[in-house]
Amino acid sequence: MTNPFDDLERSDCLLVVGSNATVAHPMVGMRLLRRKRAGGFLIVADPRRTTLAEQADIHLRLRPGTDVPLFNGLMRIIHDNGWHNREFIETRTENFPALLDAIAPWTPEATEAATGVPRDLLFRAAEAYAVSAASSIVYCLGVTQHRCGVNNVRVLADLAMLCGQIGRPGTGVNPLRGQNNVQGSCDMGGLPDYYPGYQKADDPAVREAFARAWGCPQPSTPGLTSLEMMEALHKGTLKAMIILGENPVVSDPDANHVRQALSKAEFLLCIDIFPTPTTELAHLTLPGASFAESEGTFTNSERRVQRVRQALPPLAGRSNSRVIQELSTRMGYPMPPDSPAAVFDEICALTPLLRGMSHERLDRESLCWPCPDKNHPGAPMLHADRFTRGKGLFAGLAHVPPAELPDAEYPLLLNTGMGHSQYLTGTMTRRCPMLEREMPHLEVDMHPDDARALGLRNGARARLSSRRGAVAARVHITDAVPAGTVFAPLHFAEAPVNLLTSAERDPVSKTPEFKICAVRVEKV
Amino acid sequence: MSACYALNPADLPALLTVWRRNAVVYHPRKTNENTPRLAAYEPLMPVDLDYGNLAMPPVDILNGYQDVLFHWKGNERTYETRPGAEDGRPTILFGIRPCDVAALSYLDEFYLGEYADLNYSRRREALSVVAVNCTTPGERCFCAATHTGPFARGDFDLLLTPDGDVCWVECATGKGEALVERGATFFRPVPAADLKARLLMLEERCRAAFPPLPDMSDARNVLLRGFHHPIWDELTPACIACTGCTAVCPTCTCFQFHEERFSAESGRRVRVKDSCQAPGFTRNAGGHNPRSKAGAVRHRIMDKLVYIEDRFGKKGCVGCGRCIDVCPADIDIREIVSRIAADAPADEAAPPVFISERTPRRADPQLYTPQPARIVSISDETPDIRRYVVRYTDEHLAETFRLSGQFFMVTVFGVGEVALSIPFGDQHGGEFEFCVKKVGKVTSALAALRPGDVIGLRGPYGKGFPYRSFTGRDVLIVGSGVGLAPVRTIIVRLLQERERYGRIAIIASATSYEGIVYKDDLRRWAGEPGVEVRYALARPTDAVNAHVGYINDLLPELGFDWGSSRAILCASPRRIKLVSKDLLGLGMRPADIYTSLETHMRCGVGKCGHCKVGSHYMCLDGPVFTYEEMLQLPEEF
Repeated sequence: MTNPFDDLERSDCLLVVGSNATVAHPMVGMRLLRRKRAGGFLIVADPRRTTLAEQADIHLRLRPGTDVPLFNGLMRIIHDNGWHNREFIETRTENFPALLDAIAPWTPEATEAATGVPRDLLFRAAEAYAVSAASSIVYCLGVTQHRCGVNNVRVLADLAMLCGQIGRPGTGVNPLRGQNNVQGSCDMGGLPDYYPGYQKADDPAVREAFARAWGCPQPSTPGLTSLEMMEALHKGTLKAMIILGENPVVSDPDANHVRQALSKAEFLLCIDIFPTPTTELAHLTLPGASFAESEGTFTNSERRVQRVRQALPPLAGRSNSRVIQELSTRMGYPMPPDSPAAVFDEICALTPLLRGMSHERLDRESLCWPCPDKNHPGAPMLHADRFTRGKGLFAGLAHVPPAELPDAEYPLLLNTGMGHSQYLTGTMTRRCPMLEREMPHLEVDMHPDDARALGLRNGARARLSSRRGAVAARVHITDAVPAGTVFAPLHFAEAPVNLLTSAERDPVSKTPEFKICAVRVEKV
Repeated sequence: MSACYALNPADLPALLTVWRRNAVVYHPRKTNENTPRLAAYEPLMPVDLDYGNLAMPPVDILNGYQDVLFHWKGNERTYETRPGAEDGRPTILFGIRPCDVAALSYLDEFYLGEYADLNYSRRREALSVVAVNCTTPGERCFCAATHTGPFARGDFDLLLTPDGDVCWVECATGKGEALVERGATFFRPVPAADLKARLLMLEERCRAAFPPLPDMSDARNVLLRGFHHPIWDELTPACIACTGCTAVCPTCTCFQFHEERFSAESGRRVRVKDSCQAPGFTRNAGGHNPRSKAGAVRHRIMDKLVYIEDRFGKKGCVGCGRCIDVCPADIDIREIVSRIAADAPADEAAPPVFISERTPRRADPQLYTPQPARIVSISDETPDIRRYVVRYTDEHLAETFRLSGQFFMVTVFGVGEVALSIPFGDQHGGEFEFCVKKVGKVTSALAALRPGDVIGLRGPYGKGFPYRSFTGRDVLIVGSGVGLAPVRTIIVRLLQERERYGRIAIIASATSYEGIVYKDDLRRWAGEPGVEVRYALARPTDAVNAHVGYINDLLPELGFDWGSSRAILCASPRRIKLVSKDLLGLGMRPADIYTSLETHMRCGVGKCGHCKVGSHYMCLDGPVFTYEEMLQLPEEF
């Protein structure tokens, strides 16, 4: 997030895109609803009528996969009406002409035709976002899990820059992270092309610094993304894998393909707190440690690094860091059993973004990076005076349609996401009796028109299939999904929706297109 | 007040350290995030009485995260059970606020009344309460409006009132005296008369500091008038069913059973806190939910301010304000009452609500522990309904057993439990029969069992049909589908004493003849003098002479003396209403029509809260109600 959570309650206008926050991020959803009740203007862009959308002043119910046309259309309306921020564009940005070229084709008529959003709503939303004193964009996986996910994010950045709605309290472009520490994982270089703190792996100076610190040469090419690793296992160019706290057999797209890939590994080691369909494929599974048994830091969506303190000693005997240290030592690179505080010191020494942090300091206060030195107060808000690269670069984007749209054979569009009472692949929540009672099996949301056409009653059993696989589900009839679209949560290992999804992904981020594939629903 | 003392606040750490020698002492302690929570006292920790209020209610300490109800071991041929309740450790709750003391007083009434809850009572006996009066109200406190604070009026053992450099102590019970005795050096006796005026002054000072208070004096009638107020639908969309309100409420008690399996041959049933705000709370095995989302929001508020008071004579809301603090949707119990009061004219009378007598207190050491019973035989009653004959493995139980209720809780060990009505009674020499339709997890597991296998029985529970009061009357019995099962016993009894009653008519209804239960019985009964058996089916049949159409169509031609007749209707609530309407039209009185409302009963003994409709627990006050009573229940069954 460019701005802190508290800022959401300072926004005059909130534009929420592809986020079912009251379900997937309830603490943020709560703030959004509070702001709305206190007089904030709420715009929700989502094909589904979520709880937030129901409460919104304007619901932009776009056709799935038409984010770029929608926001290009809004930008054209804003520009045509002179609601854009000329001063911001002149002083803080570059490449504005490219934006103008990109939005030129997206007249209100063209935008309405492409997205299905009525023109009057487009005008009202464009005006509210552009002219409000402080407008904030909040987005989530509904934006990123497309083959054009990076474009979808960049078009939002273009919109924020066009209106100068960034770098001030109550503004910004704010992605919501799906786990307590997914931000921290990325910060730590859990991405194939980055060292910790987003230091580029293809920069020789960076590689040199880490080679010196770690006393071993660093590879000269970036690594593989998780889906590329699956491909490499298939091809046999990757032989072994360690999976810590992930359940790709259920969470990755095209699950049959993933299962085959993992089965080809010569050695698969899993570390997890509970057995999962992934650990079933492992040659060896080591017991993991939960959050309550862990010591260190978690970094949340607003880049806030917070201490997590061990509440009980690891039931299995070792913390995750001890397991990694021991594995590394036995594999020939000795890692001393340093304390989490010492490991964090090493991280901070090598990572300019975090250089001013230490456990000792975090014991007293939580800090948002960048925090370059010991006296730096941290930066809850980014881009106040300048962007990281200097001037903000307008992207100016063209529409890339989804890879697999409904056709005669598979006539419905499948959208996937989270349900209210389960979390991700359910490894933890399906063991909680209350949560499991609430959502014990896969239910597919379907529009009444589609259900009628298929002769399906509420609660009926159905078979949901795509070109890649099939799952059994029950039908939940609701007009919260648009006609022609079905929605299914991904939590159920016995009915893994990711058997159906397509492995089509964004060329830059490699994020799969979880939000769109073509399916067929049949009565059973 | 019996005895009063003065205490130097500086001595509190030393006092708690002394008490700690014989008991676990919980005291309010602020966490890193400045949140006050009850924590076990360690010697000489500082004691802060100016902590606002606890984030979580003390009931959490009392009940814990989960509670073991019983243990089982063995296999399907040999199961044995043993109760899970254990003796409580001596525990002192130090420093809890008057609102939470008032809550505890309700909890005692709730857990220890009717069926006494063994697990709670063991812990409660070992508990001493040292409360502390409030001298400054919190931002969302409204105990002064619910008359549960800011000073406690009873139900504590010791009560402290901080007053500058002195802390006044009132001792109300023997447990309190024992605590004073153990810390005798710290307590200086003071005359109660001297203290009274000072305490009144302190209380008045605190009252004056409250934020504007809602008027809760007529909350019960206000809410009853506002049952259909638009506010419920307005509030509901923002509710994300996070269940925070019920998690922090000091008077919330609902729980869910959970089966824990340790091995193929051992396990236990535990209860975990549940919430009426979760959509699954009232959803039945078939997926139907009789309570809407708005209904759930309304149920919580009505329960706290209407239903609990109607049943227990005590407020269910103690004005602590926690639910307002945690609600992401800003649902505010004070505002709801104020708004409905403003909209509904005060002279408008609240609609009539029927309030049943509470059942007398019963101590049952086996309360949550099923008794093993063996399946004697299984037969198919219809294509999807099976008949099970069972017998207690402990023959002694069958000897002392008396059929006084309406249903049993039937356990499949390691899987779960389900409520089944008793179609056959004790005249069968200790054998009971159940009719089971496969709809959910437990009934599916039952379907997999064979004769000789062991299940668990609790009960019988609930109130049955008062058939003996039908003497001299014509009796109509309507059973739709498996609905005939709960009234089978009644039919058998009526026929045993045939001469006591007037004419008897039985109407069995189903989609098709295959769906009718007790086909053979029905044919036999039809042959008895003065007994008429009719069938109302959706599809024609050659097997019997059946009417193709509704139950209602058959009523006029029965030719009953309707004004003095009695009727028993077992069908869906919708069908009950449709049939009743016609019966009323024929001249019957609503108080003479009986129905059985078997709505998601889980514990059977009025504790788990799932079957609560209005102030009634279907399992205790029902499942048998008259139509007149049924109409006065909220439509959530």
